[in-house]
Amino acid sequence: MHNLNRRQFLQYSSAVGAAIGTGGFAGIANAQEVLKMGVVYVSPIAEIGWTKQHSLAVDAVKAELGDKVEITVIDNIFMPQDAERVFRELAASGNRLIFGTSFSHGTPLQKVAPRFPKVAFEHCSGIVHLPNLGTFEAKYYEGCYVAGAAGAHMSKTGKIGFIGGFPIPDIVGPANALLLGAQSVNPDITCNALFLNSWFDPGKEKEAANTLVSQGCDVICSMTDTATGVQVAGEKGAWSIGYASDMSKFGSGKQLTAFTLDWSSDYLRAAKGVLEGNWKPEVRWDGLAAGVVKMAPYNEAIPADVIAKLKQLEADIGSGKVHPYAGELKDQDGNVKVPAGAVLADADIRGMNWFVKGMIGKLS
Amino acid sequence: MDLFLAIFTGTIVAATPLIFAALGELVVEKSGVLNLGIEGMMLMGAAFAFWAVISGLPMPVAIVIGALAGAAASLLFGVLALTFLTNQYAAGLALAIFGSGVSAFLGRNFGSTPIDALKPVHIPLLSDIPVLGPMLFRFDPLVYLAIVMFAVISWFLYRTKGGLVLRTIGESPETAHAIGYPVIKIRYMAVLFGGLMAGLAGAYLSVAYTPLWVENMTAGKGWIALALVVFATWRPLRVLLGAWLFGGMTILQLQGQALGLAVPSELLSALPYLATIVVLVIISRNRQILALHFPASLAKPFRPAS
Repeated sequence: MHNLNRRQFLQYSSAVGAAIGTGGFAGIANAQEVLKMGVVYVSPIAEIGWTKQHSLAVDAVKAELGDKVEITVIDNIFMPQDAERVFRELAASGNRLIFGTSFSHGTPLQKVAPRFPKVAFEHCSGIVHLPNLGTFEAKYYEGCYVAGAAGAHMSKTGKIGFIGGFPIPDIVGPANALLLGAQSVNPDITCNALFLNSWFDPGKEKEAANTLVSQGCDVICSMTDTATGVQVAGEKGAWSIGYASDMSKFGSGKQLTAFTLDWSSDYLRAAKGVLEGNWKPEVRWDGLAAGVVKMAPYNEAIPADVIAKLKQLEADIGSGKVHPYAGELKDQDGNVKVPAGAVLADADIRGMNWFVKGMIGKLS
Repeated sequence: MDLFLAIFTGTIVAATPLIFAALGELVVEKSGVLNLGIEGMMLMGAAFAFWAVISGLPMPVAIVIGALAGAAASLLFGVLALTFLTNQYAAGLALAIFGSGVSAFLGRNFGSTPIDALKPVHIPLLSDIPVLGPMLFRFDPLVYLAIVMFAVISWFLYRTKGGLVLRTIGESPETAHAIGYPVIKIRYMAVLFGGLMAGLAGAYLSVAYTPLWVENMTAGKGWIALALVVFATWRPLRVLLGAWLFGGMTILQLQGQALGLAVPSELLSALPYLATIVVLVIISRNRQILALHFPASLAKPFRPAS
């Protein structure tokens, strides 16, 4: 039994503080022990889509680390109030690394993380960082840009259609990139953008794809969590661009490509970090270069020389030679937002709430 | 012209699942029973029909299986609400949640397998008429079935003795019981019919409308169907018009968005709901007529005094 007076207590705590300060998260790590890791999915694991890609990353961790990790997966947690309870339970039951996989998991993670300072938290698509809460996100716009270029090569009508969930920067930005990529091939091409104002409504998504086709769009990119957009485009004889997973089996052979998400590197890095005791909260935002964004195999209908160009474009974006949001960028009304020679700052990319010139649609 | 055609045919197709589900619920409510579980029954129908298709069963069989799955789910509600006289609101909500859970469980095994959708009919001569052909005669068979069901239900409710008995039970089960009608049995039949129709609506979604399976793919259509019955003041023609109006506004707002109308998309997305409610409330504002069509014993449990 230690009886600490105030002075001793202060000494203790400063010593502990110094230890944490120098040792980083060494206190968390214990190389001999099995790493208990918890992952919370926002939706059920379907055959395709957002959560499927996360489950593939979890599989990659299992494959590489084997017995060293023990993974608990909890799926279909969308509402923040449910998520908070789940995160707290995971942290209290000895998990030392916990993943949240949806923007809606942000607030609960910010609440729970400070209560469990020895647990490492990772938040996919998060924006707030804490001493034990890191975030990771993909540069969707890089894949979108390449997909847009592919679309422009194949479009006959010069009109692309885009379907998104809500008009938020995470969706508006990629929509812009899609058009900019297309304009890099055909400067006159335009893009009609539709927002469902719902994260999940296959029926409405079908109607949206139908609408875009009826207005003359012959390439449809659907940045939603089902294959409906790809499916309807295929039925109607329009090209399609998939998101998150390769959706070619739904596209009647009309999926041009898909910008897929591979989070394996993020999950592995965090798991190894905690195992080795050098985990730090990071802000990771990777794209084609790191392989977090990957292009699905190109449709065979695309001429070989075009595919070669697209692959070159992937490489150039990866190396930084081409930046999807390089100036000169104008908004819908023709105001210059990024002058020639400059690129859009990262913070502005993540907060993009305006359409580039050539987008047809209205943001509030 | 192409645009008009797209809007017109899109409306008819989008309204079809709503017509099935809402007409089924109309019959249930006309018998004095409120089944809030449409969403659950639709999901059961969708999951079972999809399962039947990927198991290699022919399309018509799959659709029947979907409808039967909806009916089986409604039987659960019937037992709770009609035999055990539990609160109908609670039993209906339980069915909605139950159906969503069971369908999700079932759906785990077939993931997002692509299937061949129900094909549109090709009626010789009719389908080839210029303008009218593509407008009216190139839908899949279930679209026509929905219209036929509307005609049959309207005829049954208002032109047959069976319909009169059903409506009487909805007004005053005591009276019907006193003159010797088996109230509980008839209510069971109405509930089963409602389940059949909701199952059909679900099957339509998973094998024809968006031919794939995703959890909770009804995305609230069951609740919209429920609201349609109320706003249509329990009259079949208004249910039909309401479903078309809702479907039409959904398509129109998307067309408007894609054309770049200077209206925020959030507001346009709310339009189908607003328009449907406003129109149906306006045409149903006569309180006397409203009282005439409202089943007076709705959601009140009935125990035959024997």
